[in-house]
Amino acid sequence: MEGAVLASRIQFAFTIMFHYLFPIGTMGLAPFIAFYTLKGVRGDDGAMISARFFAKIFVVNFAIGVVTGIPMEFQFGTNWAAFASRSGSVVGQTLAMESVFAFLLESVFLGVFLYGRRRVPAGFYAFAAFAVWAGSWLSGFFIVATNAWMQHPVGYAIGSNGVIELRSIGAVLLSPFAWWQYLHVMTGALLAGAFIVAGIGAYYLLGRRSEAFGTRFVRTGTLVGLVAALIAVFPTGDRNSSNITQYQPVKLAAMEGLFESKTGAPLAIIGMPDVQHETLIDPIYVPSLLSFLAYGNFHANVRGLREYPRSARPPIELTYYAYHVMVGLGTIFVVITAAGALLLIGKRLYRSRWLLWIIMLAMPFPYVANEAGWVVSEVGRQPWMIYGLMRTAEATSPNVAAGETVFTAIGFLGMYFLLGVLFLLLILREIALGPSAEPALAPAP
Amino acid sequence: MNVAAFIVLAGIIAGYVMLDGYDLGIGTIHLFYARSEEERAASFRAIGPFWSGNEVMLIVAGAVLFALFPRAYAVSFSGFYLPFMIVLWLLMARGMSIELRGHFQSDLWYGFWDVAFSLASALLAIVLGVALGNVLRGLPLDHSGYFTGTFTLLLNGYAVLVGVFTLIALAMHGAAFAAWRIDDFVLCAKARRAFNALWILTITFFVIVTWLTALVHPIIRSPALWIAPVIAVAALGGSRWATAAALRFALTSAFLFFLIACAAQTLFPYLLPAFPIGAGGLTISNSAAGTTSITTAVVATVIGIGAALIYATLAARRILKGIWQG
Repeated sequence: MEGAVLASRIQFAFTIMFHYLFPIGTMGLAPFIAFYTLKGVRGDDGAMISARFFAKIFVVNFAIGVVTGIPMEFQFGTNWAAFASRSGSVVGQTLAMESVFAFLLESVFLGVFLYGRRRVPAGFYAFAAFAVWAGSWLSGFFIVATNAWMQHPVGYAIGSNGVIELRSIGAVLLSPFAWWQYLHVMTGALLAGAFIVAGIGAYYLLGRRSEAFGTRFVRTGTLVGLVAALIAVFPTGDRNSSNITQYQPVKLAAMEGLFESKTGAPLAIIGMPDVQHETLIDPIYVPSLLSFLAYGNFHANVRGLREYPRSARPPIELTYYAYHVMVGLGTIFVVITAAGALLLIGKRLYRSRWLLWIIMLAMPFPYVANEAGWVVSEVGRQPWMIYGLMRTAEATSPNVAAGETVFTAIGFLGMYFLLGVLFLLLILREIALGPSAEPALAPAP
Repeated sequence: MNVAAFIVLAGIIAGYVMLDGYDLGIGTIHLFYARSEEERAASFRAIGPFWSGNEVMLIVAGAVLFALFPRAYAVSFSGFYLPFMIVLWLLMARGMSIELRGHFQSDLWYGFWDVAFSLASALLAIVLGVALGNVLRGLPLDHSGYFTGTFTLLLNGYAVLVGVFTLIALAMHGAAFAAWRIDDFVLCAKARRAFNALWILTITFFVIVTWLTALVHPIIRSPALWIAPVIAVAALGGSRWATAAALRFALTSAFLFFLIACAAQTLFPYLLPAFPIGAGGLTISNSAAGTTSITTAVVATVIGIGAALIYATLAARRILKGIWQG
């Protein structure tokens, strides 16, 4: 049983982390495509070419996102049958809503956007771009609402046979926990989208090619990136922390590497947790800051990990490092985009090659930050599958053996390696080809 | 309300078979009816804007099953562990082949994805058919309702026959779509010839499978249940003599839709009957979620699908009747 749980966890963690790379791309780029399209149909040809260019990158992300997304829905049933059967009344709702409200919208209008350029009126074409955006962000909402319910269950009742039954879908969808988590996740995706746009622009400027597009992309990406980086810290990041402080205090302690409860708890900027001796190695502290961030009061008491039995603690190292990676990168993103915005005001950004280099090389890091954030959220939630209601160890399929899951996990590994290689090949090729006007009378693709 | 939930679920599955059925069908015949690169490109162009929307219906079906009948979802997905994983990998290979084929101009690249597309489509049709066959035949379930059989047990004669029937019927449906939508005159004629040949096979298998199913299931338990089989037979018969390509495709669509309706009414009130038939199993009452949950999911699904039908029709008409807009 132990082995089966571990195998299913590894398979889920691997498939979800790989899958999530592509929704980051689609949710992050969709707003840029929508606004470029809107400017485009209003007569800005450069904006329309930009929209079509990012749509090519979007569509590769979308296709791989779809094919890697289907296994996610399947796995609830294949590997987590006990969880599915016990909580489907709630979890099934949001997933069903995602598919009927968001997926259909996104895929239908993506079809219009890709194939309808020369077939539908301009207004409808712009509408399609916004519908794709709405679809992708709606999809994100239902997924985050599902996850938020597992983090902080609301609107349910427990039936006689232990089955969790939905009581109020309103409570599930309007849960403040879900909304703050959603806004934080979307800000993260937008930030990644902004860094893709700015990074590609920087690449063109550094290579002295497609420079009109290069300046456009760097400008848009840097400014949107600055706004997103700030919102990721405050209010969305801050509000998430206070929700965690309130509902999952042991996760907070693991994130911060706080072993001993303290009044006026310090914030560890760096340091390595030594779980065996329950201490941080080589820490750098800011005195009392953790108490302030968690409770808005420098003298508040923050509960440490020692107050919880080992069986109730999440894996500490992973939660701690993932959190510090996310926060550290978030801070760096603020610095990079703020520097970009300042140089833009001073009209020197496009000639500041040192910063263009940094912007270009920073492109992958919002992905790392997004994934790290999810690791904090999911690993930090352990040992619970549904917080306080169902343990991960009880959630797997009783009739699926570890060996079966190991086999399929290896299958996914191979399949996703191939997908990853193809993805990079196609994306790098689109970037190398660059934005260009399509031949006026060519047939639609 | 549980009955309404069953109808919604059956409707979505029937919709999935009808919609994704034609692009799986085109995939199945792709290597045989389209020979040159121009023809194969035309074959892909015909389904390009639609396939991902069609495939979404499969995700909808899975998610709606999850919400309405969590136990049946858990039992079937974990019970069919390996077949479902194979379905996933085939869906991936197929999705990749459609999306990636056009990215490089190279005969090797095209050839590779043509074969991947066709193989994955045909295998998917068979695997989905085998799954349906096993559900109709009944599954070995233990006292807590979990599946206890083996992979080889799923490949029994009846289920394999249903799998082959599915392959042929979807290929016929795909040929009907191709004959209607492909923008290549010669290829259209080829698709029509393929349709005629596949029609004969379909009707043969239809008779055999229906007869075998009737041996274990009381198919017609009330006069109202004649409706779906009669429509299915009439649509299949009519499709052979329909002269307008659009009408022919509409008739094969109706055939598949009502064929699934027949399967659903045969199963009712079971979702997963135990083997042999009559030994119990998971029904709409013992695997349904609570009342609030069922009501919420049925209402949300009906609204969502209803809205989707409206905007998808709108979008499809704009695309299909589209004019040059510069």
